[in-house]
Amino acid sequence: MGREEILNSVRKNKPELLPLPEINADLFNEDIDLLSGFKEKVPLVGGTIKQLTSPKDIDNEITMMYPNATNIVNRTQVSSLGTVSISDKTQPKDLEDVDLAILRGTFGVAENGAIWISEEQFYIRALPFITNDLLIILDKKDICQNLHEAYELISKRKRTFGLFISGPSKTADIEQCLVIGAQGALSLTVLLI
Amino acid sequence: MNHAQKAEIFNKNEAKVNWHDKALWYVREKRDNAAHGVKGWEQLRDLASGVKAHVLSNLDELLIEFETNAQKNGITVHWASNAEEHNKIINKILTEKNAKKVVKSKSMLTEECHLNPYLESKGFEVVDTDLGEYIVQIAKETPSHIVLPAIHKTKEEVDTLFQEHLGTKPSDGNPEYLTNEARKHLRTKFLTADVAITGVNFAIAETGGFVVCTNEGNADMGAHLAKTHIACMGIEKLIPKEAHLGIFLRLLARSATGQPITTYSSHFNKPTEGSEMHIVIVDNGRTEQLSREDFRSSLHCIRCGACMNTCPIYRRSGGHSYDATIPGPIGSILSPGKDLTKHSSLPFASTLCGSCSNVCPVKINIHEQLYKWRQIITKDVEQPVVKKTILKMTGKVFSKPKFYGLAGRSVRFMLKYAPRFLVYSKLNAWGKARELPQIKNGNFDQWYKEKRSK
Ligand code: SF4
Repeated sequence: MGREEILNSVRKNKPELLPLPEINADLFNEDIDLLSGFKEKVPLVGGTIKQLTSPKDIDNEITMMYPNATNIVNRTQVSSLGTVSISDKTQPKDLEDVDLAILRGTFGVAENGAIWISEEQFYIRALPFITNDLLIILDKKDICQNLHEAYELISKRKRTFGLFISGPSKTADIEQCLVIGAQGALSLTVLLI
Repeated sequence: MNHAQKAEIFNKNEAKVNWHDKALWYVREKRDNAAHGVKGWEQLRDLASGVKAHVLSNLDELLIEFETNAQKNGITVHWASNAEEHNKIINKILTEKNAKKVVKSKSMLTEECHLNPYLESKGFEVVDTDLGEYIVQIAKETPSHIVLPAIHKTKEEVDTLFQEHLGTKPSDGNPEYLTNEARKHLRTKFLTADVAITGVNFAIAETGGFVVCTNEGNADMGAHLAKTHIACMGIEKLIPKEAHLGIFLRLLARSATGQPITTYSSHFNKPTEGSEMHIVIVDNGRTEQLSREDFRSSLHCIRCGACMNTCPIYRRSGGHSYDATIPGPIGSILSPGKDLTKHSSLPFASTLCGSCSNVCPVKINIHEQLYKWRQIITKDVEQPVVKKTILKMTGKVFSKPKFYGLAGRSVRFMLKYAPRFLVYSKLNAWGKARELPQIKNGNFDQWYKEKRSK
């Protein structure tokens, strides 16, 4: 249904072939400090960011920040706070009561405070959204400048599902008042190690 | 009713109009700040425009490439020539899945196809899950803005609606409380939905994947909790390569709300085990627009809403006055292409100040296209329809081609002078209650007279 009709109509109506412009990434290069740029952006998009001196402090820090979290999914090697385990059998709906999800981020983007996370890190696609709070652990070396670099970095990935996440879920749909915590996670904390 | 008449209704509530005007201008200012913070912003816009122009010139090949790659990844691809076919395809999938409950995230395409009423008439429960869309859905209205669907509603109105539909306590329109109540309600909808329908911001030919951008996380909550995900896209959503997302995602949110990127930019490539992913590719008048050389580039639009936020007419007339799925400057180019008679007043709902074209991240020459529609309409559409309401207002200025030529050459100058004159003069509804403001260094009339005598 429709396919041939649409393609034929496109063929009939399209203009002559125009060249595809090249992206010259040099045009967008800025001489900025990636780490401090990223650290500035995360709060601007509503997130919290903390730099730890030692990975040993991770669990302490998390416990201090989320003292009431009991249902915790930990998907990292560097924390041991997980209380809920997930497997192939886990249904996304089973995660309804997760208080906190702890994930590893692949890399951060200095221009917008976004972090690339993918299915390999969270396993169940709904996890970073359905969890009440989200915490991402990121290596401070893993920060790139802008999205042009970011797409270079993920160009070889296994493509299933992944996202750039920038801050907690938010909305301004009621009279343009910014409210943090719409349908996704209510908070996003980034721990830099 | 034409645009000016509907705008007059919107203008009855002076306080609300003033708020609307200011709120959108504030968004426009946030956009400016965000854009100024990006090195090479203008080059980015050029690139975006160039990529989109290439896409339109090679659309058939790219669509086939996209289909092949999507299918390789286990995504089912459907094609719909028009709204009716689009709706039928979705009905068929829902029926096959034995679905009853559907959650939707923002998709202007499904609005354009009037999917909700169609599905409801077939007995499905359809819930819009973007907060703004949820508000307009329970108010039994349509979005008045493509990025801020409920911008025409006051918080008190939302409060009343929520008391009625969600049983909330009166809160004087407390945004935190109301948002949280909606969150709780929508959670139950996500958890029990059989099928999620989302829009598509960008579809990538090279990978067969697609990207959906939201701030609320509602598209993802829907898509990952339901067993079946249907993504609906117009043919023009295609981009050739994934690397091009670098261009478009840098532009989109900054232009839309002034954020550096939306909270969630989700890249869907493959369904999970045991789930299904469908894509519906829709024409619905787009290939016809492709045939119109003068209006072709309107298909570059990435739906950021910047042209609405900056438009002096839109801000003071409200999205509903356009009586079209896509309101504002870009809608006023797209809608006449679909139904010239119904939408013949829209290309006149502009001061031709060019502010829309200046902010458009994909560099659509919006105001020039509006002017081109005017020429066609004054020729083609029965004169009385147009004349009485429109020429009266714009005639003075636009019946003099020389004047427009001048404006075209010095858009910057027009930007400074024309909007004020046209918006606030007594000739139109949008600024009726306003006085003609003083312009620095003399006034508009004087300037106009001088120019005219040359
Ligand atoms: S026409 Fe340009 S400014 Fe207007 S919504 Fe589309 S992309 Fe944005």
